[in-house]
Amino acid sequence: MNKIQQNPVLERIPVDGPCPRCGAEELRRYPVVSEGGWFQVVKCQSCLYSVEREPWSRLGPIQLLSDSL
Amino acid sequence: MTEPARLREISDDEFTAAYGSDRFTSAVILNRLRYAVEHMSTGFMREAFSPIIRDWYDFACTISGPPERGYPMAVVSNSLVVFLGTLGDAVRNAVEEFGPENLSPGDVLICNDPYRGGTHVNDVCFIRPVFAGGKIVSFVNMRAHQLDMGGTVPGGFSATKSNVYENGLVIPPVLLWSRDQPVRSTFSLIFDNTRWGGMLLPDFKSIHQQLKLGEQLVLENIERYGLDAYLGTLTYACDTSAERMRDAIALVPDGDYTGSALIDADGLDDTVDYTVRVTLRKRGQHIEVDLSGTSPQARTCINCGVLDAKTAVGVALTMLLDPEVPFTSGTWRTIDLATPPGTLVSSLPPDGGIMMFWEASGAVVSAIFDALNPVLGEKGVAGDYGSTNTHNASGVTAGGTPWTSATQCGGEHGPWGATKEGDGDSYTVLFFLNNLDPATETIEHDAPLVMLRKEHAIDTGGAGEFRGGAANLKDTLWLSAASHYLSPFRTKVPSGVGANGGKAGPNGAMWFFPPREDARELLGTSAEVYAGSIPVAGVLDPDSKAPDPEGVYHYFASRPVWRTEPGTVLRCLTNGGGGWGDPLARDPERVLADVRNAYVSVEGAARDYGVVVIGDPHHDPEGLRIDEQATAELRARR
Repeated sequence: MNKIQQNPVLERIPVDGPCPRCGAEELRRYPVVSEGGWFQVVKCQSCLYSVEREPWSRLGPIQLLSDSL
Repeated sequence: MTEPARLREISDDEFTAAYGSDRFTSAVILNRLRYAVEHMSTGFMREAFSPIIRDWYDFACTISGPPERGYPMAVVSNSLVVFLGTLGDAVRNAVEEFGPENLSPGDVLICNDPYRGGTHVNDVCFIRPVFAGGKIVSFVNMRAHQLDMGGTVPGGFSATKSNVYENGLVIPPVLLWSRDQPVRSTFSLIFDNTRWGGMLLPDFKSIHQQLKLGEQLVLENIERYGLDAYLGTLTYACDTSAERMRDAIALVPDGDYTGSALIDADGLDDTVDYTVRVTLRKRGQHIEVDLSGTSPQARTCINCGVLDAKTAVGVALTMLLDPEVPFTSGTWRTIDLATPPGTLVSSLPPDGGIMMFWEASGAVVSAIFDALNPVLGEKGVAGDYGSTNTHNASGVTAGGTPWTSATQCGGEHGPWGATKEGDGDSYTVLFFLNNLDPATETIEHDAPLVMLRKEHAIDTGGAGEFRGGAANLKDTLWLSAASHYLSPFRTKVPSGVGANGGKAGPNGAMWFFPPREDARELLGTSAEVYAGSIPVAGVLDPDSKAPDPEGVYHYFASRPVWRTEPGTVLRCLTNGGGGWGDPLARDPERVLADVRNAYVSVEGAARDYGVVVIGDPHHDPEGLRIDEQATAELRARR
């Protein structure tokens, strides 16, 4: 059974360094869904600039047991 | 980060280099592809056996590009938006898992897993690769609701199922046709696990033919204009959506905006309600939508998957910011959805079952309206009736024939909110569904019932300079014993919220009325009639059982199955649509017309609009007139 959380909040992992566009020291790493599916991004939390944007797992946090075959 | 060149400003040579053809040819190809998906849709609707296809238009068609271009969903039919929004991801996820290298000409790949492709298990995706020159160049696709996909509830529409195992048959990406030959094992898998397979079979055959038609039309375009022009047009279509959405987003002031929407309860008990919370962070041409703080996934199947939440984000922003943005993959290019896993709108298997998905994702739409309407001012859009209040019933006739009535006799259709353009429509479906309304004659033909009423309820449109659409009041007489499943989810707080100073529409409810001796007489609509009812849902006065915002909440699944005797009447009253603008700014002549047409009572005209109407709307409607002086005095006192 899945563990039920109370009002889940997306975890945003701090990343060192300034935003190359606005200079804010507010870079965070987290997954998003957009055109093209899931991505792991490193985004500036001030101006929303994506420093990194790499395709992530096809179904995001859901892992298929059949993928281990 | 450099912004892409604007499509109107690039030279003809640049356009041809980017899209493989001149502008005129791209426009022609795109229109021919739109014709293709509409032609597929028309053919399917003409041939469908299933009522939910035939009468509800519960299907959609799309065209997607090839794997090496990221499966862009470039062309969509004019139909069910929740299907369209998820089909781009569904095609990519299904084909990637199956392996594009494993597909051959003439194949039809299917998948119905909500976590892989969105919506719910009844909605099966049918995906046909289009080959040219020995390689996949496109996919033509349909998603169509199947009347039953197994599970514990006939038809599936119930909030009471606890997990994916109770929910129904989950089909991973598998072939239904291989090189245009039916795969018997797949057909048997479905028929052995679903009810009413005899109805599904001819629809499957029709879908196969529509996909072949779509493939043929795509290939005709490639033959006439060339592969480069065809593929370039798919890219151009998505780039157009992306550019228009970027422009629309840019008009919103930078900032962080929060909103929420409430769902009454799930199917287990009424001790827990569910809130969708949204934070929109807008910077320049980008929006990030964070659903953190939303309630955990529900204990029963009222959840939706993250792809449905993504669809809701696209629909809400399209409606609020620029309704002319073509709905393609490109709609989301500068929109990121950031959501924690395991919420009501990003549920996880196996416990986060997904059936009533549009109710949860509809709450995402409402929450975004709640967040942005205060910012948008005149561009704000008032809320709709919020829930399809879905009703399913089944039983056996006196002659022993099984029957079912699916999504026909509840509060499935209702009003929209008002906008700066005018009054809200009064009888449609939720903002992001875009279905049809089943014909009364068909409903009565298919099940032992008589539809006694299907009418606008007076004084239920939210007041405003432009009035919200009127709630729908529906009475159905059940001629034989029946088992009912009822799912109204938004009765605690108004879903039809106002915009730009408009008022909210009132909330609706559901009641059963036991068999009566005077069954030949229609039930009245005044408050006193409800005293003899069995309330199913709504916030009601504890004594009169009439709707009362200060009353007591009645829980729709207090009986998971509502069993009724012959002669019972089901009444469904939807929520009203929200109003737009100050009600006292409404043209008195419009109020007079509303009284004439029974949208507003004489009392409501004075109370809600400050307009004094003189006359009898029932016996002398042409004699109604406005008391100008009394109206001026009444409005001056407000």
